[in-house]
Amino acid sequence: MTDQTTTLPDSDQKSKEAYFTASQGQLIWARFKKQRAAMIAAMVLVVLILSGLFAPFLSPYNPTIAGKNDEYTNGAPQIPQFCDDAGCSLRPFVYSVERERSMATNFRWVTKINTEDRKYIQFFVEGWDYKLFGFIPMDTHLFGAPEGFVHIFGTDSTGKDIFSRTLHAIWTSMQVGSIGVFIAFVLALVIGGISGYYGGWIDSVLQMITDAVRTVPAIPLFMAVAAFMPPEISAEARFFYISLILGFIGWPTLARRVRTHLLTERNQEYVLAAQLCGASSGHVIRRHLLPSFTSYIIVDLVISFPYMVLSETALSFIGLGLKDPVNSLGVMLQNVTNADVLLNYQWYFIPVIFFIALVMAFVFVGDGLRDAADPYSDTHK
Amino acid sequence: MLQFSKFVATRAVMALITLIIVSLVVFSLMELVPGDCAERYLAFKNTQGSGISMADIENERIRLGLDKPFLQRWGLWIFNAFQGDFGDSCILRVDIAQLLGDKFWISLALCLASLTLAYAIAIPVGIIAAASSNAFLNNGLRLFSYLGLAMPNFLLALMIMLIGTVYFGETLTGLFSPEYRDAGWSWDRVVDLLQHAWLPIFILGWSATAFALQTVRALMSDEIGKLYVTAAAARGVSGGKLLWRYPARHALGPIVNSLGFDLNRIFNELPIVALILTLTEAGALLIEALARSNDQQLAGAIIFLLTASIVTLNFLTDVLLAVLDPRVRKSIIR
Repeated sequence: MTDQTTTLPDSDQKSKEAYFTASQGQLIWARFKKQRAAMIAAMVLVVLILSGLFAPFLSPYNPTIAGKNDEYTNGAPQIPQFCDDAGCSLRPFVYSVERERSMATNFRWVTKINTEDRKYIQFFVEGWDYKLFGFIPMDTHLFGAPEGFVHIFGTDSTGKDIFSRTLHAIWTSMQVGSIGVFIAFVLALVIGGISGYYGGWIDSVLQMITDAVRTVPAIPLFMAVAAFMPPEISAEARFFYISLILGFIGWPTLARRVRTHLLTERNQEYVLAAQLCGASSGHVIRRHLLPSFTSYIIVDLVISFPYMVLSETALSFIGLGLKDPVNSLGVMLQNVTNADVLLNYQWYFIPVIFFIALVMAFVFVGDGLRDAADPYSDTHK
Repeated sequence: MLQFSKFVATRAVMALITLIIVSLVVFSLMELVPGDCAERYLAFKNTQGSGISMADIENERIRLGLDKPFLQRWGLWIFNAFQGDFGDSCILRVDIAQLLGDKFWISLALCLASLTLAYAIAIPVGIIAAASSNAFLNNGLRLFSYLGLAMPNFLLALMIMLIGTVYFGETLTGLFSPEYRDAGWSWDRVVDLLQHAWLPIFILGWSATAFALQTVRALMSDEIGKLYVTAAAARGVSGGKLLWRYPARHALGPIVNSLGFDLNRIFNELPIVALILTLTEAGALLIEALARSNDQQLAGAIIFLLTASIVTLNFLTDVLLAVLDPRVRKSIIR
């Protein structure tokens, strides 16, 4: 046996050593890296998070009503191009548009694209004021068309830029989801923790309540709770309430997981061994129990995140969630069911693609993490 | 047999307790809304021109029994609810049972149909996927499942409507053609309903199918590698017979058990899908009650009924599982 190990090449030996001395985080990362789908999803997720974080910088227009473009309401997406009949330019450009309505157009506003008049897109232009990360005042934006306007995803009925709104909506959804998941997590940890740690009748009673809450369909329950919000409260307060509600209703599934983890881990030999060595229960919880399931809990949190986002979207969509100055996918989709939008303004649906990407990315990353965090996942295959 | 009836009785009591806890939650929610029925009634009278005073409101409260303690009113509410009587809606001033009528049953039928559709697809496909080592099939199914998770039903409904209007010029909405909307039940009306109902059933079944597929596949792949399957294969059982008679029987147990939660998930999406497709059933009524008219009596009744159906299904599947699987019967009774 000893011969075999010494004959191994040096690098192999090193990698083996690295494997056996690696921390849990390193092991999970190593397993996670092997999964192509999860890695791609993780990159998409990072891009989306960054674009949400830098939303004000990336978006050429103010996403609220202050940034509306009266000249171009319900405007179609303008696609920047480099070449046209008049030749090519290194700088991308869009055409200027003119609108008119007259007897000939049946008194509807009709947009005419003037292919003679190019509006060049410039980078790092000055635009509306904003605060990056909430405290750095800036007015530089990645791109814009100072001579005219550029709406790469089009505009909505009030002339707000859909691209800017989408970026801000991603960030809003992330925030709502994070706060919701955090509240749900704290509740789940307390309730599931008590349930799992004490066991016995406390466990039975708490489980019964958890199960009862789980039986009520969540979205109708969300709706019922959200209906209490007084309609006159400010958009920011609404935002906070919605996150709170999502958290208060989302805990049962997590609580059940925490409880199950605790119940199984509590009776493991290594806990008994630690106790027999004279470790205090605080030490056992801190040094042995918590590390044994933090990875699982993190995975659970990542997995439950998209459901929070989707619930918020659903709630806002029916008008019980966030309201206008705050942008979220649900808010942006509020008016799309009417026939006018369906027939004439299909670019209202562009944000949906981003949200499917966001949710898919979360689901794939969560799944990849779950496989990576499971030390037996290799042996399954 | 005695043991079995004891098991059924325990399960029934547990279901009842769950329902009572749920009813407490729902009833508390109804109570938390600012303003009660007495104020609403009199506010209505006020709009009709008769002046009202605080004393009038108090009298009205006494007449409606709203001055009684919370627990007593809850007891009365739940007692009546079990008999199918949810009282009157304060906003619409009509009997809720009458208002809901067969709308709730239509909703329930839609959801159960979607559930059936989901499993009719998921069970055979899931079993085949678990048994085959075709990478293309498996990856395709995985992608489909994730899409089902990531694309909530209401987005799917929106997309179908978008495509329907743009390419086919039809709106595909509603549950009945106009001429049958208020007609009594007849054969033609049922046919008309079925012609419209396939779309909501498909949309509601979409993510349920994705979920179910994942579950079936995971459970099957756990079972398929076990020794008893190898032993059966060694005895010469093969093909579909091997899959169906050995691992599938074990794998499908937990699925029967989770039917209740699947129904829960479908109910979850029902109101919003109903809103988009303008279905005239309980889900749409629920949104109407919550988002528009703030009618808590109606909303409470609908949520209670939805939950009651889930609890009932849970109870039925528990019993069914015990009938099918002797291990479950033994382990739970003890």
